[in-house]
Amino acid sequence: MASRIYTWLDSRLRLKSLEKTLLDEPIPGGASWNYVFGSATLFLFVLQAITGIFLAVYYVPSPDHAYDTVQYIQHEVWFGWFVRGLHHWGASGVMLAIGLHMLQVFFDGAYKPPREMMWMVGVVLFLIMMGFGFTGYLLPWDQNAYWATQVGINMAGAVPLVGDFVLHVLRGGETLGALTLSRFFAIHVLMLPAIIVIGIALHLFILRRVGPAGPWDEERAKQGSETFYPRQVYMDAVVMLGVFVALVILAATIEFPLADKADPSDNSFVPVPEWYFLFYYQLLKYFHGPFAPLAIWIFPSIFFLGLFLLPFIDRHPERRVSRRPVTLGAGFVFLLGMFVLLGISLNDLYAVPKTDPSVIRGQELVAQHSCKTCHRIHGEGAAIAPDLSFVADRRPDREWHLRHFRDPKSVSPGSFMPKFPLDDQEVTDLTNYILTLKSGT
Amino acid sequence: MSDPDLHSPNKSSGGFSTPVGTRRSFFQWVTGGIAAIIGLGMAFPLAAYFVSPAFNRRKPSWVPVGKVDDLPVGSPKVLDYSMKVKDGWMETKAVKAVWAIRHSDNDVTVFSPICPHLGCGFRWNQQDAQFQCPCHGSVYDLSGKVLGGPAPRPLDALPSKIENGELQVLYKEFQSGLSIQKEL
Repeated sequence: MASRIYTWLDSRLRLKSLEKTLLDEPIPGGASWNYVFGSATLFLFVLQAITGIFLAVYYVPSPDHAYDTVQYIQHEVWFGWFVRGLHHWGASGVMLAIGLHMLQVFFDGAYKPPREMMWMVGVVLFLIMMGFGFTGYLLPWDQNAYWATQVGINMAGAVPLVGDFVLHVLRGGETLGALTLSRFFAIHVLMLPAIIVIGIALHLFILRRVGPAGPWDEERAKQGSETFYPRQVYMDAVVMLGVFVALVILAATIEFPLADKADPSDNSFVPVPEWYFLFYYQLLKYFHGPFAPLAIWIFPSIFFLGLFLLPFIDRHPERRVSRRPVTLGAGFVFLLGMFVLLGISLNDLYAVPKTDPSVIRGQELVAQHSCKTCHRIHGEGAAIAPDLSFVADRRPDREWHLRHFRDPKSVSPGSFMPKFPLDDQEVTDLTNYILTLKSGT
Repeated sequence: MSDPDLHSPNKSSGGFSTPVGTRRSFFQWVTGGIAAIIGLGMAFPLAAYFVSPAFNRRKPSWVPVGKVDDLPVGSPKVLDYSMKVKDGWMETKAVKAVWAIRHSDNDVTVFSPICPHLGCGFRWNQQDAQFQCPCHGSVYDLSGKVLGGPAPRPLDALPSKIENGELQVLYKEFQSGLSIQKEL
C-alpha cells in the first residue's frame, strides 16, 4: 500500500530523483564516525525548535507570570519536566555539539579552499546560537537569569562608542524589566529562528555544492567514496539516538534548578553562568581596572574575527596535521587555556576544602541551623540576608566573624540575624568555614 | 529511462565502498528503528503535554455560601459568594452565585445559576412562582422541573450540606444543551 502511494506521488512529484540527490551524495574516503557532529548539531537544533514551540504553549513573557509559568510547566503539565528538561539540556548539548563539530573541521583543515564560505557561515551560526543562549537564559526570570543577563548587558555596554546604544537597545527600558523580557522573548522565539533557518540552509547548500572534504590523508581518500546513505545516515542516526537518550536521562534525573523568582532589588545575588561560559567568567576576574576592556570585548572580538577569517589567515591549502604546526598549535593553546580556566572556575565554585575537619563541621552547622533559609551560598538558599558565596572576599577579618557569630548585633547594628546558641568550638568551626567562602581558592 | 531504484542493492549506483545486500538492509533497519524510537519518544510526551490541561480537572471543594437561618422558607434566594479559582498558573478570586431554596428548617436545595438550555442566567418570578430564563424563554418550577420552553433537562442541583447552621455547596458547572447532566 505504502509503495503504491509512493509510486503514485513519484509519478507526479518525481520523488525518486530527489531521494537520489539527497541520499547519494558521495563521501570521499567513505562514511566515518568523525562526520557525525554536524548532524548531531542539526538534530539538537531541531529538538530545540520542537521543544521550544511546545514551551510557548504555556510560557508567558512577562515579569508577572514568566516564573510562575515555568514552575507550572515543570510541576503541573504532563511531561512538562520532559519538554523543559530537553530544552534546557539541549541548549547545553547544542553548544557542545557545535564545539566538537568546529574542532573536527579545524583539526581536519576542512575550512580550507574551496570550503571557506561553509566555515564562515558556520561561525555566524555559532554566534546566532550564542544569541539564543543569551536571550533564552533570561526567560525563566529567576535570580540567576536576571543577574546573569544584567552582567551580559553591562558587558555590551562596556564597548566604546556603540556600547551605550547597544546596552539601551538590549535592555529596552531604563532598567532590566518587562521591556527587556518581552524583547528577549521575541528575539529568542521569532527573530533568531528566522535568521538561523536561512543560515542553516545556506550552510547545507554550500556543503552540497562543494561536497564534503573527506580525509586529509590521501591514502584514505584514494580508497574511493561511498554514498551518504545508508552507512553515514546509520552512523548519524546512532549518534542522534545516543544524544536523545542522554537528554532524556538528564531531564528525568536532574531537576533543573530554578533559583528564586527574580528580585531586582536584591544586589547581593551572585549569578553563575552556564558551564560553557565559565572559562570566560573566570577570565574576567583577572583583568582589573584599565585592563578590564581586554577581557570584556577586545579578546572576544579578536577571537571571533579571527575565527571568522580563519580560512584567509591560514591560507596554505595543506590539510595534513603534521604540516600545520602553527595553526594547530594556536588551537591547542586556546583549548588548553579554556580548560585550565574552566577547571579553576569549577574548583572555585564547587570544591569544598576537605582537609580541615573544622571547616567540614562548620559546613554541617550551616545545614543544621538552616542558615540557607536566609542566606544564599553558591546559588543555594534564599536571598533574604546577604549572599555568602564570596563573603570572605568582603570580610576576611577572622575576629569580626567570631564576634558576629556570638552576637550579630555587636558588630553589625541593626542586623536581624538571630543570636544562635553556639558554643566556642562551633563559633570557631563556622568562622573557619565562612573564611573558605572566597573566590580563587 | 527511469532512475535507478535506491532500495535495490543490485541496481545501486553508490560509491565504491557503499554497502550492498544484507549489510545494506542492516543499516536501513537500524536507521528506521532509531527514527521510530525518537519519533514516538517525542510524539507521545508532546501530545500529552499539549492536551494536559484538558484532562487535569480541578477537584471541587465545599464552599460556605451563607447561614441557613438567613434563608426564607419556601422562596428561592440568590447567594453570592467568592471562591478561589485556579486558572493555570494564576489564582483568581471569582464571585459565584447559586440559587438556594429552603423547603423547611434543614432541608435546602441548591441550584446552579446557569440555565441548562444554553447557559444564560435565569431569574425567579415571585408572581408566577417560576424560574424564567430571559434568553430563550425556558421556564422551571420550584423543584427545577421544566414547565416550558426549549430546556432539555431540569435545573442542575448542586450537592449541598449544612454544617453548624452554615450552608455549604460543592460548586460544579455542567454542559448546557444536553438532555443529560454532564459535568465540565
